[in-house]
Amino acid sequence: MTNEPQNVRIVITDGAIIPDPKERRIVTAWSISFVGALAALVYLCASRPEPYWRLLQFLPDGIAVTFKVTVLSILCSIPIGLITGLGRLSRNRLINLVASTYVEVVRGIPLLVQLFYIYYALGRFLKVPDLLAAIIALSVCYGAYMGEVFRAGIDSISKGQTEAARSLGFNRAETMFMVILPQAWRTILPPVGNEFIAMLKDTSLVSIIAVADILRRGREFASESFLYFETYTMVALIYLLITLFLSKGVSIMESRLNYYDRR
Amino acid sequence: MLKKIVLTLAALLVTANVAFAEKTIVVAQDATWPPMEFVDANKNLVGFSVDYTDAMAKEAGFKIVHKNVAWDGIFAGLESGSYDAIVSSVSITDERKNAMDFTAPYYEVRQALVVPKTTNVTKLDEMKGKTLGGQISTTGYFTIKKTAGVTAKSYDEIGLAMEDLFNGRIDGVVCDDPVAASYALQQEQYAAKMKIAFVIETQEKEFYGIAVKKGNKEVLDLLNKGIAAVKAKGIDKQLREKWIGR
Amino acid sequence: MTADSVEPIIRISHAWKFFGELTALNDVSLDVMPGEKVVICGPSGSGKSTLLRSINRLETVDKGTIIVDGQDVNSPDNDINKIRQELGMVFQSFNLFPHKTVLQNLTMAPMRLRKIPRAEAESRALELLKKVGISDKANVFPAMLSGGQQQRVAIARALAMNPKIMLFDEPTSALDPEMIGEVLDVMVTLAREGMTMVCVTHEMGFAREVADRIIFMDHGQVLEENAPQEFFGAPKHPRLQKFLNQIL
Repeated sequence: MTNEPQNVRIVITDGAIIPDPKERRIVTAWSISFVGALAALVYLCASRPEPYWRLLQFLPDGIAVTFKVTVLSILCSIPIGLITGLGRLSRNRLINLVASTYVEVVRGIPLLVQLFYIYYALGRFLKVPDLLAAIIALSVCYGAYMGEVFRAGIDSISKGQTEAARSLGFNRAETMFMVILPQAWRTILPPVGNEFIAMLKDTSLVSIIAVADILRRGREFASESFLYFETYTMVALIYLLITLFLSKGVSIMESRLNYYDRR
Repeated sequence: MLKKIVLTLAALLVTANVAFAEKTIVVAQDATWPPMEFVDANKNLVGFSVDYTDAMAKEAGFKIVHKNVAWDGIFAGLESGSYDAIVSSVSITDERKNAMDFTAPYYEVRQALVVPKTTNVTKLDEMKGKTLGGQISTTGYFTIKKTAGVTAKSYDEIGLAMEDLFNGRIDGVVCDDPVAASYALQQEQYAAKMKIAFVIETQEKEFYGIAVKKGNKEVLDLLNKGIAAVKAKGIDKQLREKWIGR
Repeated sequence: MTADSVEPIIRISHAWKFFGELTALNDVSLDVMPGEKVVICGPSGSGKSTLLRSINRLETVDKGTIIVDGQDVNSPDNDINKIRQELGMVFQSFNLFPHKTVLQNLTMAPMRLRKIPRAEAESRALELLKKVGISDKANVFPAMLSGGQQQRVAIARALAMNPKIMLFDEPTSALDPEMIGEVLDVMVTLAREGMTMVCVTHEMGFAREVADRIIFMDHGQVLEENAPQEFFGAPKHPRLQKFLNQIL
């Protein structure tokens, strides 16, 4: 008998298919996509260096920007998400209301509009640099989504765990940080990883505030060369490879977190 | 429906009769393009091309009727005969030349650098180390990209680049001079802070022409006569000064 | 205070608890003396678990007072976390911490709450594991243990805090029949050592063997309260008679 609800999957936004860590087969959706994308990339660059090889050399600074925005936004959105999730579970009515209102407002506004708002609308009062504006918008938006993931993850841990910890004499905070969260991580990590991947894809929206990410770099290339097919094929392949890499990483982390379940 | 057609035909007949005395040319303009053609605060159709065509009519002895038409479908309307000509910042391109006839160019489009009023520059090279913005896939943006030592930033709309310049996030914007004028001169808020520094000579020239229906020689000749007269008298330079600034 | 007037260590007076329409506790009063073993039984939904859980305030009573070791558990002046440290609790569903090893399950609370150094906490934990008969499983995760083993670890975990009182909430109800004995053995040993125990259980054999007093509850009320001999030999209340007929 286990106390945990098994295989709880929380999906808030669409990310990517995270491979099942227990999957032992070689031919999976993930491996087909990964090998296919890699093969296509190599084949295109080898068979038609012009323009593909040139494109590949044109895009790296865009990839770097995409990575920078994604990683920094993730780092900011986790604490925001944790605080929001705890706020949503708080018995204090005011804290609960503040957290819930934040989630409602952010989830009700498209990310694209949030980006525009922070960069252009608030630009009149706050001269936020483009990269920072992108990171703020993504963190604020994904912090709210992440808050829901944390809340659901914490909720998925059986009440018995809280009762056991409290009856030993642990206070509310000790119970949360020593007993509930370490277990909730297991449920939270896959959807959080999913959010990261969704976020990486959503960073393509920041090109709208003139941040030179992969997509904008590609568009600049295409607008000059008129090689739309070639450019967007390359951009799509690069995004796909990055998200596949990330989803594998999440999958590996997930299996590490399952250590205590192995019999 | 039939009634409507009959009425329209009747109206056309009346127009034709008047033209017998002094030819009337109906021109279509998409009045959303300051300072070339736009609607002013009093809802009057005004702008460079409005003044220009009026001057043409006066010099060459015909009548002009301005018609405000949306850009979408503006060429279809010419084809169907709803008006005789389009005077709406239409760039002369080979593709378009296949579909319609163009008069001699009435306006040469140049690239202009818009900067904050406090910036003093006369050449693009002086902007080294600065960040300049332009609209993606426009001549303006390509011009910036070709300039060594300048960081190019591409925007989806020229308005967003202007907003970033206004907010001090970039150092200048390169775009078509009518567009530059519309932001740096026409728009009050921007005009207080921004100016056109200079126009940039580019290799590929771009011209606006008046489009008429393919084969409509009568109108084409009349319009060309008007353009020649306006140019001969130097009126075009006055209008450029009035609406574009330089 | 005179020698013959020993104070009860648990004193429940006129406790009421409502869950919406349902009256879970209906004016329940109960005293438990130090060292006493009290078994509470009754049909499901009789309020016996609610009564037990209100002793360490996992449930708060709506009316009445509950005094544990001289402290009102519902008073905001008292630190409930301190009171709970003296009240070991064993649950039906074990509730071991699955992300911690057996040993860590036992040392976590003493180290954090009683500030006992790791070495000392661990040697005491190993002693307790030996006592409950699973010292060889100290470094495995709970998921690798059988239900009976998990429940014995849970008892050891509660004992690791050195509580004055142990509360058992149907500790054998979730177990396969062949594992019930091993858990009851541990509880009997504990009783022999003089631990104050309040047990909600259906194990009548255990009740007969160790209980000083057995309490029968139904519909939130205490209907009968007696020593085992009278409780089983001469039940007075018709509902208890019916209950015993069904269960024995």
